[in-house]
Amino acid sequence: MSSNSPQSNQKPDLDETINVTQAHGRVASESAATAREHRIADNGHEPISLWVIVACGVVLLIGGGVLGNVTSWFDYQALVKPNYVRGVPEGAENTGPVAKEALAAYSTKGQKVYTAVGCSGCHGPDGRGGAAAPSLAGSAWVTGNTQKLSMIILNGLKGPTSTGKDYGVMGAIGANLKPDELAAVMTYVRNGFGNSTSDVVSIEMAQAAKDASAKRDAPGSSLTSDELMAKHNQMLPGVALEPTTKVDPVKLTPVP
Amino acid sequence: MSTETVNTNLQDAQLRAGIDRSLRHPVMFFLVSGAAWLVVSIVLGIISSAKMHAPEFMDGCSWFTYGRTQAAHLNALIYGWGFQAAFGVIIWIMSRLSRQECKAAGIILTAGHVWNLGVMAGVIGIIAGYGTGMPWMEFPSFAWPVLLLSYFAIITWSMVQFKVRPEGHVYISQWYLLAAMIWFPWVFLTANLLLHVFPGHPVMANGINAWYKSSLIFLFFTPVALSAAFYLTPKVTGRPIYSYSLARLGFWSLAIIMPWAGMQKLAGAPIPFFMPYLGAAATILFFVPAIAAVFNILRTASADMEIVNNSPSLRFTMAGVFGLLVMAVAAVFLNLPGSTLKLTQFSLSGYGFEILAIYAFFSFVMFGAIYFIVPRVTRREWISRRLIKMHFFFSIYGIITVAIVAIFGGWMQGIGQEKFYQPWESAALRAYPYVWAMTITWCFILFSNLFFFLHLIFMWMGLGRRSIHPTLLISAHGHSPHGEEGDIDNAGTVSAH
Repeated sequence: MSSNSPQSNQKPDLDETINVTQAHGRVASESAATAREHRIADNGHEPISLWVIVACGVVLLIGGGVLGNVTSWFDYQALVKPNYVRGVPEGAENTGPVAKEALAAYSTKGQKVYTAVGCSGCHGPDGRGGAAAPSLAGSAWVTGNTQKLSMIILNGLKGPTSTGKDYGVMGAIGANLKPDELAAVMTYVRNGFGNSTSDVVSIEMAQAAKDASAKRDAPGSSLTSDELMAKHNQMLPGVALEPTTKVDPVKLTPVP
Repeated sequence: MSTETVNTNLQDAQLRAGIDRSLRHPVMFFLVSGAAWLVVSIVLGIISSAKMHAPEFMDGCSWFTYGRTQAAHLNALIYGWGFQAAFGVIIWIMSRLSRQECKAAGIILTAGHVWNLGVMAGVIGIIAGYGTGMPWMEFPSFAWPVLLLSYFAIITWSMVQFKVRPEGHVYISQWYLLAAMIWFPWVFLTANLLLHVFPGHPVMANGINAWYKSSLIFLFFTPVALSAAFYLTPKVTGRPIYSYSLARLGFWSLAIIMPWAGMQKLAGAPIPFFMPYLGAAATILFFVPAIAAVFNILRTASADMEIVNNSPSLRFTMAGVFGLLVMAVAAVFLNLPGSTLKLTQFSLSGYGFEILAIYAFFSFVMFGAIYFIVPRVTRREWISRRLIKMHFFFSIYGIITVAIVAIFGGWMQGIGQEKFYQPWESAALRAYPYVWAMTITWCFILFSNLFFFLHLIFMWMGLGRRSIHPTLLISAHGHSPHGEEGDIDNAGTVSAH
């Protein structure tokens, strides 16, 4: 920095007429710390010391050793284990995931489906509905016959709902649900939000619902309440699960 | 002394005084609010450390669980204290070395307030349970654009000052500052875009996160602190930097090696094989830029040990440079893939290394810079050398204990974790005594920084001593606890400190 010529930083008020002694006194008293500072001197040009070079050389060797240990640089599979199965400690038994009671397992999965598919968008996370959709809590069609509920989820609904109020059109929101997901979300809405039918819709029943839906004249088009009442006002065929049956929490199938 | 020399020196002093005057509001704002965040961060650090040996401490309150306080502690330390101290130092040193008065003090001050609001909202977000769970990026995702924009509003002016500097060679501190000012937005933007805006595979996200942490240390905090050390040492001692070629070696090795570091924290994870190894090698090689700078600065200062001992700025700076030395050695010994790396991957050691970098190295150099800058921008001398000494000794003993205990205790914890057939509890129990020691020493550091904060506040309020005598850490004269009560008219020969 000190290589600057004295003129280059001259400020306009510092011309030759300034009283140097007075100005110096003012700087020294008002900003003493600044006035007494050293200027930064030119950089020194000592050679790099031997010890620094030796120490850096040793560390370079260590770093090189680390890199030398890499056997396959760009092997992207070296640390991936396809079809990985969790190891079992010696002497222990492989139990897999811990079985849960059917009602809890189906409801847990059902809640995820309820959010993921988008039910919660209109019916709300608490199932109380709103301007766009009726409340699921205490709804006669939700807690009533299971085939009617499954048809609404799979195909949608237009016209008046169970209370007679018309909310417009609901699309075929659940058309792509797998049977276990349909069973889970039905169980969830029938037992959540204050509803308690205490029954668990089995995967077998959900499969039957999907079959019935596929047999409609125009699968995927929204149902009317007339069609629901005429053709689907019944329980789904198949056996419901006991709420206390132990099931696999992932696959939702009963475990022995 | 010829008239012309007097005239040049006078012009120089007036220019310096003008620069200091133009920066007094933003610089003091950054330093004081930074010191306040430091205190907040240490309090959170004490709570989270206490949680590790006394889980029942405040267990009824979800706001103060370990997962939240630990994250809030580190984020307040980094973005509240670290960055704001860095801002104050960057804008001041860059103005001084580019010989330009600051013309955007109002904008910088406003941006500084926005930065503070962003940090505050972020820390409250973490405490309230909205943290993202990504280390060092726990602020809820609204915070990062705010921080980035205010960063640009603060730093751009220093870039402009550098651009319009008078002819002449660029000083070492300016290399480091310019590099840090460019590296940070690159690192910050890359990590935040890849993690918040275009999220990819979660395993890789982990790797990016590890790289971000490492880059923040090596590509922002390290160059800023080195720049301050390279400025303060010749400034206070009045001696030239020992070796220019060594400084160049240090700078370029930092620039070339350090962007590769970081991913060694994912050794063993299913990411491409070369990433963790390259990260480990690069972190080990941090020794090279670190030792080049340490040797250069120590050789410059060691010519006059009395000044190092007496001047608060130089004493803190040298302590920070020793911190860098310890950090460089730790970088070698904590990252050997065959032996130590797996012991430090999931234990306290990583935290120990981070604290070593941020407090023992970076913060100490920042304290040194603050003890130098504040008397100049406020035009008052530090009030009490006793307060400075308390700050120094409690901090130095505290941080040595925290860093060593965390690194060594983490090592023990890692050995415990390796015995996977034993219950996890036994690994946690191994760390128990070390965690206790950490809580106590954090209390010491809190104590020291409370005094520092008060001292700084008094200086900000203009309560500093009006004197031409600097506050030196001399204890030989027992007559007054406040150093020489200099009379401004009684201008004797005063050496520069």
